[in-house]
Amino acid sequence: MMMSLFLPLLLVSVLFMSSFSEVQGRKWKGEGTTQNLESIAIGRCYDYIRIVNPAVGEKNCSEIWEAFKSAFINKDPCSILPEDYELFINLSLHTIPANKSLFWENNQLLVNSFADRGRRYMSVGDTLFGFFGDFLNWCGQANSSGLDYESCPTTMECETNAVDSFWRMASITYAKHSSGEIHVLLNGSAVGGAYPQPSFFADYEIPNLQKDKISQIVIWVVDDIEGPDLDSCGIHSVKILETRLKTLGYNVTCIDNYKSVVFLLCLDYPDNSKCAVPSF
Amino acid sequence: MPFQQGSARTRQRTVLLVGIVLLLATLVLAVVLASLLTHGKHEDSPKMLKWKDRGTTKNLQEVILGRCYNYITERYPELGDKDCLKIWESLKDAFIYKNPCNITTEDYQPLMELASHPIPCNKSLFWSKTNDLVHRYTKSNQNFLTLEDTLLGYMADRISWCGDPSAPGINYESCPKRSECESNPSSVFWKMASKMFAEAACGVVQVMLNGSIEAGAFRSTSIFGSIEVFNLNPDKVSEVHIWVMHDIGGPQSESCSGHSIQRLKNILEERNFKIICEDNYRPVQLLQCVHNPDHTDCRLCTNSTAVP
Repeated sequence: MMMSLFLPLLLVSVLFMSSFSEVQGRKWKGEGTTQNLESIAIGRCYDYIRIVNPAVGEKNCSEIWEAFKSAFINKDPCSILPEDYELFINLSLHTIPANKSLFWENNQLLVNSFADRGRRYMSVGDTLFGFFGDFLNWCGQANSSGLDYESCPTTMECETNAVDSFWRMASITYAKHSSGEIHVLLNGSAVGGAYPQPSFFADYEIPNLQKDKISQIVIWVVDDIEGPDLDSCGIHSVKILETRLKTLGYNVTCIDNYKSVVFLLCLDYPDNSKCAVPSF
Repeated sequence: MPFQQGSARTRQRTVLLVGIVLLLATLVLAVVLASLLTHGKHEDSPKMLKWKDRGTTKNLQEVILGRCYNYITERYPELGDKDCLKIWESLKDAFIYKNPCNITTEDYQPLMELASHPIPCNKSLFWSKTNDLVHRYTKSNQNFLTLEDTLLGYMADRISWCGDPSAPGINYESCPKRSECESNPSSVFWKMASKMFAEAACGVVQVMLNGSIEAGAFRSTSIFGSIEVFNLNPDKVSEVHIWVMHDIGGPQSESCSGHSIQRLKNILEERNFKIICEDNYRPVQLLQCVHNPDHTDCRLCTNSTAVP
């Protein structure tokens, strides 16, 4: 009977030890740095200046990569601040054409499609500095010049991590250099409101808009085709946003379910009644 | 400064003048030498053949490598075993130091083998004269894949390259147009990649054609009409769905009942494919309406409200 107890106990303790050592190996809870980050990032930089938007002129992509790395390499991955990316931003900054800025919350893929890689609108992901880091993950480690490919801190573990600080700096920069008629695409079906707080838009973009360069702010609140209509112009969080912007002195327009965007959403639901077009 | 005697002052002035003249002479010599050297450098590149189309994309290596890794990371992690460096090398070897009018399919064979990957059935989307629309569609709707959504096409899209027998072996100034020679690096590449893309298709395949152009929606001279149609495998492909799209508010030069579409249907029927043709396939038309939301053809049944 002792033997029959011994084996399961042994098995359990071996399993426990191996899972414990796995936890020991991973410092953080988030995914590690994207594989081949350097090649991807430098490739994207050249892709952008040669193909996507040659209007930005000549940029030194190796220098940009080095500046990017210097923001977080050889540092405690929980001690990275937006300002650490200042050199990176200075090297990769370019004009954002007037009337082309598109801010957003809770609809990244939709914005990607709608902006059409900068041809219709230029979202932050369509700028060189945003294009550089979009959908990628990265972090360094203290006392090492290497990237951590095993794990990186999540926002919950620490807010001042390499990726979050990057996007804060990118958002600040993007807002500062936006001009003319600017657009904000919000998700009317998002739980927590179309205009979430806290958020990049609320905390890093609105405060950095340059009032003297902006003629109008156009808000689009679009519901998911099969989603609930939780928020709309003039109510709840959108009303808070409209009030905030008007108080700051901006001309504000708000449109519910802007047709162009609805058509794009309809691609996946062509037979939904919201997508019915009599002439088709 | 102590006041100096007249003759000492003259001597000093002379020395100063001589010094300035020498400095100027050195500067002029340096400028002349520099211009001669750069002129000499420019003399080297004219040894390269001159063509009518744009030259090799600058930083080609970085762009190709980055796109290769990006594709695997973002779109198709199952391709993790692909060696992007090897893929780049095989692309380079296909054209570097070669006369860009003598490129063959053998040149690209290693690249094609390294970079090819299986395509899920029912997802292949061919196209002709609908470049912009078809790619906006596949970007917004992951149900279909064009050649440019496969690794090979993704790496090469909107990029140009060609070699030259003289150093450095890559011509960044110009590359041959198809009218100058057919066997140029770009044409051979796309023809070969298109053939392979067609061969890899299985199940139901789709093709998006332009019903608003005068020359006809289906042309035998297009890559679709001359290569892809003939390389679909009847043992793997069951059906061909044809979408004839008209520009919103544009001419309806042709539709499913048109002449060139009939020709296409004949070719396909002869090869035993089942055919379905649809004018203005709904989802794609919805995409066209994104750009023309106020056109009468795009009126939605439910109206949007503007809140001032």
